[in-house]
Amino acid sequence: MIRGGDIAKGSVLLINSHPHIVVDREFVNPGKGAAFARVKAKNMRNGNVVTQTIKTQDEVEDAQVDLIDCQYQYSDAENYIFMNNESFEQYFIPFPGHEDKKFYLQEGETYSILFYEGEAIDIKIPYKMVFTVAESENYVRGDTVSGATKPVVCETGLVVRVPLFIKQGEKILVNTETNEYQERVNT
Amino acid sequence: MDTRLLEERSRILTETRAFFLGRGYLETDTPALAPALIPESCLEVFRTEYDNPFLGRMDLWLVPSPEVWMKPLIARLRRSVFQVCKCFRNSESLGRLHNPEFTMLEYYTVGADSGDSRQLTEELFRRCAGPDTPAWARPPFRRMTMAEAFRELAGLDLEALQDRGALVEAGRGKGLLVPLEASWEDAFNQVFLSLVEPSLPADAPLVLERYPAQIECLAADIPGTPWKDRWELYAGGMELCNCYTEASDPGAVRASFERESERKRTARVPHRVDAGYPDLFSGFPPCSGVAMGFDRFVLALTGERDLSRLLPYPFADILAENEGALRRP
Repeated sequence: MIRGGDIAKGSVLLINSHPHIVVDREFVNPGKGAAFARVKAKNMRNGNVVTQTIKTQDEVEDAQVDLIDCQYQYSDAENYIFMNNESFEQYFIPFPGHEDKKFYLQEGETYSILFYEGEAIDIKIPYKMVFTVAESENYVRGDTVSGATKPVVCETGLVVRVPLFIKQGEKILVNTETNEYQERVNT
Repeated sequence: MDTRLLEERSRILTETRAFFLGRGYLETDTPALAPALIPESCLEVFRTEYDNPFLGRMDLWLVPSPEVWMKPLIARLRRSVFQVCKCFRNSESLGRLHNPEFTMLEYYTVGADSGDSRQLTEELFRRCAGPDTPAWARPPFRRMTMAEAFRELAGLDLEALQDRGALVEAGRGKGLLVPLEASWEDAFNQVFLSLVEPSLPADAPLVLERYPAQIECLAADIPGTPWKDRWELYAGGMELCNCYTEASDPGAVRASFERESERKRTARVPHRVDAGYPDLFSGFPPCSGVAMGFDRFVLALTGERDLSRLLPYPFADILAENEGALRRP
Protein backbone atom coordinates (compact mmCIF):
# COMPACT_ATOMS: atom_id res chain seq x y z
CA MET A 1 0.00 0.00 0.00
CA ILE A 2 1.12 3.57 -0.61
CA ARG A 3 -0.10 6.78 1.06
CA GLY A 4 -1.62 9.41 -1.23
CA GLY A 5 0.94 11.93 0.02
CA ASP A 6 3.83 9.59 -0.90
CA ILE A 7 2.80 8.98 -4.50
CA ALA A 8 5.36 10.42 -6.91
CA LYS A 9 6.04 10.44 -10.61
CA GLY A 10 7.08 6.89 -11.49
CA SER A 11 5.09 5.21 -8.67
CA VAL A 12 3.23 2.15 -9.93
CA LEU A 13 -0.37 1.88 -8.70
CA LEU A 14 -2.76 -1.00 -9.05
CA ILE A 15 -5.98 0.55 -10.38
CA ASN A 16 -8.87 -1.85 -10.96
CA SER A 17 -6.30 -4.71 -11.06
CA HIS A 18 -4.17 -3.09 -13.77
CA PRO A 19 -0.70 -1.66 -13.15
CA HIS A 20 -0.60 2.08 -13.85
CA ILE A 21 2.54 4.22 -13.80
CA VAL A 22 2.16 7.75 -12.42
CA VAL A 23 3.16 10.24 -15.11
CA ASP A 24 2.09 13.41 -13.31
CA ARG A 25 1.19 14.32 -9.72
CA GLU A 26 0.01 17.53 -8.09
CA PHE A 27 -1.35 18.30 -4.65
CA VAL A 28 -4.72 20.04 -4.58
CA ASN A 29 -6.69 21.65 -1.77
CA PRO A 30 -10.22 22.18 -3.02
CA GLY A 31 -12.05 25.12 -1.42
CA LYS A 32 -13.16 23.92 2.03
CA GLY A 33 -11.80 20.42 1.38
CA ALA A 34 -8.99 18.18 2.62
CA ALA A 35 -5.65 17.82 0.84
CA PHE A 36 -5.60 15.43 -2.11
CA ALA A 37 -2.98 14.14 -4.52
CA ARG A 38 -4.28 14.31 -8.08
CA VAL A 39 -2.38 11.92 -10.31
CA LYS A 40 -2.37 11.11 -13.98
CA ALA A 41 -1.56 7.44 -14.34
CA LYS A 42 -0.93 5.44 -17.50
CA ASN A 43 -2.28 1.93 -17.83
CA MET A 44 0.88 -0.03 -18.62
CA ARG A 45 -1.02 -2.59 -20.65
CA ASN A 46 -2.93 -0.33 -23.06
CA GLY A 47 -1.44 3.14 -22.59
CA ASN A 48 -4.74 4.76 -21.50
CA VAL A 49 -4.20 7.66 -19.11
CA VAL A 50 -6.62 8.14 -16.20
CA THR A 51 -6.94 10.87 -13.57
CA GLN A 52 -7.31 9.71 -9.97
CA THR A 53 -7.56 11.75 -6.80
CA ILE A 54 -6.41 10.28 -3.51
CA LYS A 55 -6.63 11.90 -0.08
CA THR A 56 -3.07 12.45 1.13
CA GLN A 57 -3.73 10.40 4.29
CA ASP A 58 -5.51 7.54 2.49
CA GLU A 59 -3.67 4.48 1.27
CA VAL A 60 -4.12 2.84 -2.12
CA GLU A 61 -2.77 -0.38 -3.53
CA ASP A 62 0.55 -0.15 -5.31
CA ALA A 63 1.92 -2.77 -7.66
CA GLN A 64 4.91 -4.84 -6.54
CA VAL A 65 7.30 -4.46 -9.43
CA ASP A 66 10.81 -5.75 -10.13
CA LEU A 67 13.51 -4.04 -12.15
CA ILE A 68 15.74 -6.28 -14.28
CA ASP A 69 18.62 -5.17 -16.51
CA CYS A 70 17.98 -6.20 -20.09
CA GLN A 71 19.69 -5.55 -23.41
CA TYR A 72 17.65 -3.96 -26.20
CA GLN A 73 17.95 -6.14 -29.29
CA TYR A 74 15.56 -4.93 -32.00
CA SER A 75 11.93 -4.19 -32.72
CA ASP A 76 9.53 -6.07 -34.95
CA ALA A 77 6.27 -4.68 -36.34
CA GLU A 78 4.57 -4.63 -32.92
CA ASN A 79 7.10 -5.11 -30.11
CA TYR A 80 10.38 -4.03 -28.64
CA ILE A 81 12.47 -7.12 -27.98
CA PHE A 82 14.79 -7.26 -24.96
CA MET A 83 17.07 -9.97 -23.58
CA ASN A 84 17.73 -10.66 -19.90
CA ASN A 85 21.46 -10.04 -19.40
CA GLU A 86 21.80 -13.02 -17.06
CA SER A 87 19.31 -15.66 -18.17
CA PHE A 88 19.34 -14.67 -21.86
CA GLU A 89 15.56 -15.00 -21.84
CA GLN A 90 13.77 -12.79 -24.40
CA TYR A 91 10.91 -10.39 -23.55
CA PHE A 92 8.47 -8.67 -25.87
CA ILE A 93 7.05 -5.25 -24.94
CA PRO A 94 4.19 -4.24 -27.26
CA PHE A 95 4.28 -0.68 -28.65
CA PRO A 96 0.94 0.65 -27.30
CA GLY A 97 1.65 3.08 -24.47
CA HIS A 98 5.38 3.05 -25.24
CA GLU A 99 5.44 4.57 -28.73
CA ASP A 100 7.72 7.45 -27.76
CA LYS A 101 10.31 5.08 -26.23
CA LYS A 102 11.65 4.23 -29.69
CA PHE A 103 13.58 7.52 -29.75
CA TYR A 104 15.67 6.37 -26.79
CA LEU A 105 16.29 2.72 -27.63
CA GLN A 106 19.71 1.83 -29.05
CA GLU A 107 20.52 -1.73 -30.04
CA GLY A 108 22.96 -3.43 -27.69
CA GLU A 109 22.38 -0.93 -24.84
CA THR A 110 21.19 -2.10 -21.41
CA TYR A 111 17.94 -0.72 -19.91
CA SER A 112 16.06 -1.42 -16.67
CA ILE A 113 12.84 -3.24 -17.49
CA LEU A 114 9.91 -3.11 -15.09
CA PHE A 115 8.24 -6.46 -14.41
CA TYR A 116 4.83 -6.98 -12.87
CA GLU A 117 3.77 -10.57 -12.12
CA GLY A 118 6.42 -11.88 -14.49
CA GLU A 119 5.33 -9.65 -17.35
CA ALA A 120 7.63 -6.97 -18.82
CA ILE A 121 5.51 -3.81 -18.70
CA ASP A 122 7.76 -0.78 -18.93
CA ILE A 123 11.17 0.43 -20.02
CA LYS A 124 13.06 2.85 -17.79
CA ILE A 125 14.91 5.35 -19.94
CA PRO A 126 18.15 6.58 -18.29
CA TYR A 127 18.02 10.25 -17.28
CA LYS A 128 20.99 11.07 -19.53
CA MET A 129 22.03 9.18 -22.67
CA VAL A 130 24.65 9.48 -25.42
CA PHE A 131 23.36 9.66 -28.99
CA THR A 132 25.13 9.85 -32.35
CA VAL A 133 24.14 12.72 -34.65
CA ALA A 134 22.83 11.24 -37.89
CA GLU A 135 21.71 14.36 -39.76
CA SER A 136 22.89 17.89 -39.31
CA GLU A 137 22.80 20.85 -41.62
CA ASN A 138 25.98 22.87 -41.86
CA TYR A 139 25.67 26.42 -40.68
CA VAL A 140 28.20 29.00 -41.77
CA ARG A 141 30.21 30.47 -38.90
CA GLY A 142 29.29 34.06 -38.22
CA ASP A 143 25.85 34.03 -39.76
CA THR A 144 24.05 33.92 -36.41
CA VAL A 145 24.42 35.36 -32.92
CA SER A 146 26.39 33.53 -30.23
CA GLY A 147 24.43 30.94 -28.25
CA ALA A 148 22.46 30.06 -31.37
CA THR A 149 21.36 26.45 -31.81
CA LYS A 150 20.23 24.22 -34.65
CA PRO A 151 18.11 21.06 -34.70
CA VAL A 152 19.86 17.75 -35.42
CA VAL A 153 18.43 14.26 -35.86
CA CYS A 154 20.03 11.43 -33.87
CA GLU A 155 20.35 7.84 -35.10
CA THR A 156 17.22 6.87 -33.15
CA GLY A 157 15.18 9.66 -34.80
CA LEU A 158 15.29 11.91 -31.73
CA VAL A 159 15.48 15.61 -32.63
CA VAL A 160 17.68 17.74 -30.34
CA ARG A 161 18.66 21.40 -30.48
CA VAL A 162 22.46 21.67 -30.26
CA PRO A 163 25.11 24.39 -30.57
CA LEU A 164 26.19 25.16 -34.13
CA PHE A 165 29.62 23.48 -33.77
CA ILE A 166 28.12 19.97 -33.49
CA LYS A 167 28.65 17.99 -36.70
CA GLN A 168 27.18 14.86 -38.23
CA GLY A 169 28.68 11.68 -36.75
CA GLU A 170 29.58 13.30 -33.40
CA LYS A 171 28.27 11.99 -30.08
CA ILE A 172 26.23 14.18 -27.74
CA LEU A 173 24.91 13.75 -24.18
CA VAL A 174 21.17 14.45 -23.91
CA ASN A 175 18.78 14.90 -20.95
CA THR A 176 16.06 12.42 -21.89
CA GLU A 177 13.34 14.11 -19.81
CA THR A 178 13.62 17.45 -21.57
CA ASN A 179 15.47 16.32 -24.74
CA GLU A 180 17.99 19.09 -24.04
CA TYR A 181 21.58 18.92 -25.21
CA GLN A 182 24.07 18.64 -22.32
CA GLU A 183 27.54 18.37 -23.89
CA ARG A 184 29.64 16.95 -26.72
CA VAL A 185 31.13 13.54 -25.93
CA ASN A 186 34.70 12.94 -27.11
CA THR A 187 35.39 9.43 -28.22
CA MET B 1 10.29 36.75 -10.13
CA ASP B 2 9.51 38.98 -13.08
CA THR B 3 9.75 42.76 -12.50
CA ARG B 4 6.98 43.41 -14.99
CA LEU B 5 4.65 41.26 -12.88
CA LEU B 6 5.56 43.22 -9.73
CA GLU B 7 4.69 46.43 -11.57
CA GLU B 8 1.40 44.90 -12.69
CA ARG B 9 0.69 43.73 -9.13
CA SER B 10 1.16 47.27 -7.86
CA ARG B 11 -1.09 48.70 -10.59
CA ILE B 12 -3.83 46.10 -9.93
CA LEU B 13 -3.67 46.76 -6.18
CA THR B 14 -4.07 50.51 -6.76
CA GLU B 15 -7.01 49.89 -9.12
CA THR B 16 -8.61 47.49 -6.63
CA ARG B 17 -8.45 50.05 -3.81
CA ALA B 18 -9.84 52.79 -6.06
CA PHE B 19 -12.62 50.43 -7.22
CA PHE B 20 -13.92 49.73 -3.71
CA LEU B 21 -13.31 53.21 -2.26
CA GLY B 22 -15.19 54.69 -5.24
CA ARG B 23 -18.18 52.52 -4.30
CA GLY B 24 -18.23 53.68 -0.69
CA TYR B 25 -16.61 50.59 0.88
CA LEU B 26 -14.59 51.19 4.04
CA GLU B 27 -11.06 49.79 3.92
CA THR B 28 -10.31 47.88 7.12
CA ASP B 29 -7.05 46.69 8.62
CA THR B 30 -7.72 43.92 11.13
CA PRO B 31 -5.06 42.03 13.15
CA ALA B 32 -3.03 39.17 11.73
CA LEU B 33 -2.93 37.61 15.20
CA ALA B 34 -6.06 36.20 16.83
CA PRO B 35 -6.70 34.57 20.24
CA ALA B 36 -9.26 32.20 18.64
CA LEU B 37 -10.24 31.22 15.10
CA ILE B 38 -13.30 30.04 13.19
CA PRO B 39 -13.04 26.21 13.14
CA GLU B 40 -12.40 25.01 9.58
CA SER B 41 -11.41 21.37 9.33
CA CYS B 42 -10.18 21.88 5.74
CA LEU B 43 -7.17 23.93 6.77
CA GLU B 44 -4.27 24.03 9.21
CA VAL B 45 -3.02 27.19 10.89
CA PHE B 46 0.14 28.74 12.37
CA ARG B 47 0.46 29.07 16.13
CA THR B 48 2.55 31.66 17.93
CA GLU B 49 2.77 33.17 21.40
CA TYR B 50 2.49 36.59 22.98
CA ASP B 51 5.14 36.92 25.67
CA ASN B 52 5.02 39.74 28.20
CA PRO B 53 7.55 39.45 31.04
CA PHE B 54 5.11 41.11 33.46
CA LEU B 55 1.72 39.81 32.35
CA GLY B 56 2.60 36.36 31.15
CA ARG B 57 2.09 34.43 27.92
CA MET B 58 -0.86 33.88 25.63
CA ASP B 59 -1.40 31.54 22.68
CA LEU B 60 -2.20 33.33 19.44
CA TRP B 61 -2.83 32.12 15.90
CA LEU B 62 -2.10 33.77 12.56
CA VAL B 63 -5.34 34.28 10.65
CA PRO B 64 -5.99 31.95 7.69
CA SER B 65 -8.44 34.64 6.51
CA PRO B 66 -9.43 38.02 8.02
CA GLU B 67 -13.05 36.80 8.26
CA VAL B 68 -12.73 36.11 12.00
CA TRP B 69 -12.14 39.85 12.64
CA MET B 70 -14.07 41.39 9.75
CA LYS B 71 -17.43 39.82 10.57
CA PRO B 72 -17.66 41.25 14.12
CA LEU B 73 -16.70 44.60 12.61
CA ILE B 74 -19.51 44.36 10.04
CA ALA B 75 -21.97 43.47 12.83
CA ARG B 76 -20.85 46.64 14.63
CA LEU B 77 -20.53 49.06 11.69
CA ARG B 78 -23.29 47.61 9.48
CA ARG B 79 -21.56 48.78 6.33
CA SER B 80 -19.67 47.35 3.36
CA VAL B 81 -15.96 46.80 3.92
CA PHE B 82 -12.91 45.49 2.09
CA GLN B 83 -9.41 44.52 3.10
CA VAL B 84 -6.15 43.43 1.46
CA CYS B 85 -3.92 41.56 3.90
CA LYS B 86 -1.53 38.69 4.48
CA CYS B 87 -3.07 35.36 5.47
CA PHE B 88 -1.38 32.20 6.64
CA ARG B 89 -2.16 28.54 6.01
CA ASN B 90 -0.02 25.74 7.32
CA SER B 91 0.68 22.20 6.07
CA GLU B 92 -0.41 22.84 2.49
CA SER B 93 1.73 21.49 -0.30
CA LEU B 94 4.05 23.91 -2.04
CA GLY B 95 3.49 24.35 -5.70
CA ARG B 96 2.80 26.77 -8.47
CA LEU B 97 -0.47 27.91 -6.82
CA HIS B 98 0.27 27.59 -3.10
CA ASN B 99 2.40 29.53 -0.64
CA PRO B 100 1.90 29.32 3.15
CA GLU B 101 1.60 33.11 3.41
CA PHE B 102 -0.35 34.86 0.72
CA THR B 103 -2.32 38.03 0.10
CA MET B 104 -6.08 37.89 0.45
CA LEU B 105 -8.56 40.42 -0.89
CA GLU B 106 -11.76 40.10 1.10
CA TYR B 107 -14.88 42.23 0.48
CA TYR B 108 -18.26 42.17 2.15
CA THR B 109 -21.30 43.95 0.74
CA VAL B 110 -24.09 44.71 3.16
CA GLY B 111 -27.61 44.16 1.80
CA ALA B 112 -26.28 41.98 -1.02
CA ASP B 113 -26.48 38.31 -1.99
CA SER B 114 -24.04 36.10 -3.89
CA GLY B 115 -25.51 37.21 -7.24
CA ASP B 116 -24.68 40.85 -6.43
CA SER B 117 -21.17 39.76 -5.46
CA ARG B 118 -20.81 37.98 -8.80
CA GLN B 119 -21.65 41.19 -10.68
CA LEU B 120 -19.35 43.22 -8.44
CA THR B 121 -16.49 40.78 -9.04
CA GLU B 122 -17.11 40.91 -12.78
CA GLU B 123 -16.83 44.73 -12.62
CA LEU B 124 -13.63 44.43 -10.57
CA PHE B 125 -12.14 42.20 -13.29
CA ARG B 126 -13.20 44.70 -15.96
CA ARG B 127 -11.60 47.56 -14.01
CA CYS B 128 -8.32 45.77 -13.32
CA ALA B 129 -7.77 44.00 -16.66
CA GLY B 130 -4.74 45.25 -18.58
CA PRO B 131 -3.56 44.95 -22.17
CA ASP B 132 -1.93 41.58 -21.40
CA THR B 133 -5.05 40.05 -19.83
CA PRO B 134 -5.87 36.88 -21.80
CA ALA B 135 -9.41 36.03 -22.98
CA TRP B 136 -9.67 33.29 -20.32
CA ALA B 137 -9.46 35.93 -17.57
CA ARG B 138 -11.74 38.55 -19.11
CA PRO B 139 -15.41 39.09 -18.28
CA PRO B 140 -18.20 38.30 -18.92
CA PHE B 141 -18.11 35.33 -16.54
CA ARG B 142 -19.59 32.05 -17.62
CA ARG B 143 -21.97 30.40 -15.10
CA MET B 144 -22.58 26.77 -14.26
CA THR B 145 -24.14 25.09 -11.24
CA MET B 146 -22.33 22.27 -9.47
CA ALA B 147 -25.21 19.95 -10.42
CA GLU B 148 -24.83 20.86 -14.12
CA ALA B 149 -21.06 20.35 -13.94
CA PHE B 150 -21.50 16.87 -12.41
CA ARG B 151 -24.14 15.93 -14.96
CA GLU B 152 -22.21 17.16 -18.00
CA LEU B 153 -18.66 16.25 -17.03
CA ALA B 154 -19.06 13.20 -14.78
CA GLY B 155 -22.43 11.89 -15.96
CA LEU B 156 -23.75 11.87 -12.37
CA ASP B 157 -26.92 13.31 -10.85
CA LEU B 158 -25.47 14.91 -7.72
CA GLU B 159 -28.85 15.98 -6.39
CA ALA B 160 -29.91 12.32 -6.29
CA LEU B 161 -26.61 11.25 -4.71
CA GLN B 162 -26.97 12.93 -1.32
CA ASP B 163 -26.54 9.64 0.51
CA ARG B 164 -22.95 8.80 1.43
CA GLY B 165 -23.07 5.18 0.32
CA ALA B 166 -24.71 6.06 -3.00
CA LEU B 167 -22.07 8.66 -3.87
CA VAL B 168 -19.20 6.33 -2.87
CA GLU B 169 -20.71 3.62 -5.07
CA ALA B 170 -21.19 6.05 -8.00
CA GLY B 171 -17.57 7.21 -7.73
CA ARG B 172 -16.30 3.63 -7.66
CA GLY B 173 -18.57 2.85 -10.59
CA LYS B 174 -16.63 5.49 -12.55
CA GLY B 175 -13.41 3.59 -11.81
CA LEU B 176 -12.26 6.02 -9.12
CA LEU B 177 -10.32 4.88 -6.04
CA VAL B 178 -12.98 6.01 -3.53
CA PRO B 179 -12.54 4.11 -0.23
CA LEU B 180 -15.69 2.27 0.89
CA GLU B 181 -15.65 4.19 4.19
CA ALA B 182 -15.09 7.63 2.58
CA SER B 183 -17.18 10.49 3.94
CA TRP B 184 -19.71 12.12 1.59
CA GLU B 185 -17.47 15.17 1.37
CA ASP B 186 -14.32 13.19 0.51
CA ALA B 187 -16.18 11.13 -2.10
CA PHE B 188 -17.58 14.37 -3.57
CA ASN B 189 -14.07 15.84 -3.75
CA GLN B 190 -12.63 12.72 -5.37
CA VAL B 191 -15.23 12.80 -8.15
CA PHE B 192 -15.02 16.59 -8.48
CA LEU B 193 -11.21 16.70 -8.63
CA SER B 194 -10.82 13.65 -10.92
CA LEU B 195 -13.64 14.07 -13.40
CA VAL B 196 -15.20 17.52 -13.09
CA GLU B 197 -12.62 20.19 -12.27
CA PRO B 198 -10.02 19.17 -14.93
CA SER B 199 -12.72 19.46 -17.64
CA LEU B 200 -14.42 22.70 -16.56
CA PRO B 201 -14.79 25.11 -19.51
CA ALA B 202 -11.70 27.31 -19.44
CA ASP B 203 -12.21 29.74 -22.33
CA ALA B 204 -13.61 32.39 -19.96
CA PRO B 205 -13.74 32.85 -16.16
CA LEU B 206 -16.25 30.40 -14.74
CA VAL B 207 -18.54 30.93 -11.76
CA LEU B 208 -19.37 27.50 -10.33
CA GLU B 209 -22.54 28.01 -8.29
CA ARG B 210 -24.58 26.22 -5.66
CA TYR B 211 -22.13 24.13 -3.66
CA PRO B 212 -23.34 21.10 -1.72
CA ALA B 213 -24.77 21.94 1.69
CA GLN B 214 -22.96 18.85 2.99
CA ILE B 215 -19.69 20.78 2.71
CA GLU B 216 -19.48 22.72 5.94
CA CYS B 217 -18.99 26.50 5.69
CA LEU B 218 -20.64 29.74 6.80
CA ALA B 219 -22.72 30.20 3.61
CA ALA B 220 -26.51 30.37 3.84
CA ASP B 221 -28.51 27.29 2.83
CA ILE B 222 -30.82 27.58 -0.18
CA PRO B 223 -34.07 26.48 1.47
CA GLY B 224 -35.63 23.26 0.22
CA THR B 225 -32.49 22.22 -1.72
CA PRO B 226 -29.27 20.32 -0.91
CA TRP B 227 -27.26 23.41 -1.89
CA LYS B 228 -25.62 26.38 -0.22
CA ASP B 229 -25.67 29.88 -1.68
CA ARG B 230 -21.97 29.77 -2.47
CA TRP B 231 -19.90 30.09 -5.63
CA GLU B 232 -16.29 29.75 -6.61
CA LEU B 233 -14.60 31.47 -9.51
CA TYR B 234 -12.20 29.57 -11.78
CA ALA B 235 -9.95 31.12 -14.39
CA GLY B 236 -7.26 29.33 -16.35
CA GLY B 237 -7.70 26.24 -14.17
CA MET B 238 -7.03 28.31 -11.03
CA GLU B 239 -9.51 28.63 -8.17
CA LEU B 240 -9.54 32.39 -7.63
CA CYS B 241 -12.26 33.16 -5.12
CA ASN B 242 -14.98 31.87 -2.91
CA CYS B 243 -18.23 33.74 -2.28
CA TYR B 244 -21.16 33.26 0.09
CA THR B 245 -24.45 34.79 0.80
CA GLU B 246 -23.42 34.87 4.44
CA ALA B 247 -25.24 32.70 6.97
CA SER B 248 -27.09 34.96 9.38
CA ASP B 249 -28.88 32.44 11.56
CA PRO B 250 -26.96 32.18 14.88
CA GLY B 251 -28.38 28.68 15.44
CA ALA B 252 -27.04 27.41 12.11
CA VAL B 253 -23.65 29.06 12.70
CA ARG B 254 -23.46 27.52 16.19
CA ALA B 255 -24.28 24.06 14.81
CA SER B 256 -21.60 24.48 12.14
CA PHE B 257 -19.08 25.60 14.79
CA GLU B 258 -19.84 22.51 16.86
CA ARG B 259 -19.49 20.09 13.94
CA GLU B 260 -16.28 21.68 12.70
CA SER B 261 -14.78 21.96 16.21
CA GLU B 262 -15.36 18.24 16.60
CA ARG B 263 -13.59 17.50 13.30
CA LYS B 264 -10.77 19.86 14.29
CA ARG B 265 -9.80 17.56 17.18
CA THR B 266 -7.47 15.68 14.84
CA ALA B 267 -5.86 18.86 13.47
CA ARG B 268 -2.05 18.99 13.29
CA VAL B 269 -2.17 22.49 14.80
CA PRO B 270 -5.20 22.77 17.11
CA HIS B 271 -6.48 26.24 17.96
CA ARG B 272 -8.88 27.89 20.37
CA VAL B 273 -12.46 28.52 19.27
CA ASP B 274 -14.55 31.31 20.79
CA ALA B 275 -17.82 29.61 21.79
CA GLY B 276 -19.52 33.02 21.93
CA TYR B 277 -18.61 33.90 18.34
CA PRO B 278 -21.85 32.55 16.75
CA ASP B 279 -23.84 34.99 18.93
CA LEU B 280 -22.69 37.97 16.88
CA PHE B 281 -24.77 36.65 13.97
CA SER B 282 -27.98 37.58 15.79
CA GLY B 283 -27.22 41.20 14.84
CA PHE B 284 -25.61 40.45 11.51
CA PRO B 285 -26.99 42.39 8.53
CA PRO B 286 -27.88 40.55 5.27
CA CYS B 287 -24.54 40.42 3.54
CA SER B 288 -22.43 38.68 0.89
CA GLY B 289 -18.67 38.20 1.17
CA VAL B 290 -15.94 37.26 -1.28
CA ALA B 291 -12.47 35.98 -0.40
CA MET B 292 -10.09 36.26 -3.33
CA GLY B 293 -6.51 35.03 -3.55
CA PHE B 294 -5.01 38.33 -4.65
CA ASP B 295 -1.77 36.81 -5.98
CA ARG B 296 -3.75 34.41 -8.17
CA PHE B 297 -5.91 37.33 -9.32
CA VAL B 298 -2.73 39.08 -10.51
CA LEU B 299 -1.56 35.87 -12.22
CA ALA B 300 -4.86 35.57 -14.10
CA LEU B 301 -4.91 39.21 -15.21
CA THR B 302 -1.34 38.93 -16.49
CA GLY B 303 -1.90 35.56 -18.18
CA GLU B 304 0.43 33.71 -15.81
CA ARG B 305 -0.19 30.48 -13.87
CA ASP B 306 2.76 30.14 -11.53
CA LEU B 307 3.26 32.07 -8.27
CA SER B 308 7.05 31.75 -8.46
CA ARG B 309 6.93 34.20 -11.39
CA LEU B 310 5.25 36.78 -9.16
CA LEU B 311 6.56 36.30 -5.62
CA PRO B 312 9.99 37.81 -4.90
CA TYR B 313 10.58 35.10 -2.28
CA PRO B 314 8.52 31.95 -2.94
CA PHE B 315 8.42 29.83 0.21
CA ALA B 316 9.68 26.78 -1.73
CA ASP B 317 12.92 28.72 -2.39
CA ILE B 318 13.20 29.84 1.25
CA LEU B 319 12.82 26.20 2.28
CA ALA B 320 15.38 24.95 -0.24
CA GLU B 321 17.93 27.57 0.81
CA ASN B 322 17.47 26.75 4.49
CA GLU B 323 17.18 22.98 4.27
CA GLY B 324 19.54 22.59 7.23
CA ALA B 325 16.95 24.25 9.46
CA LEU B 326 14.28 21.70 8.51
CA ARG B 327 13.52 19.17 11.25
CA ARG B 328 12.33 16.08 9.38
CA PRO B 329 9.44 14.02 10.79
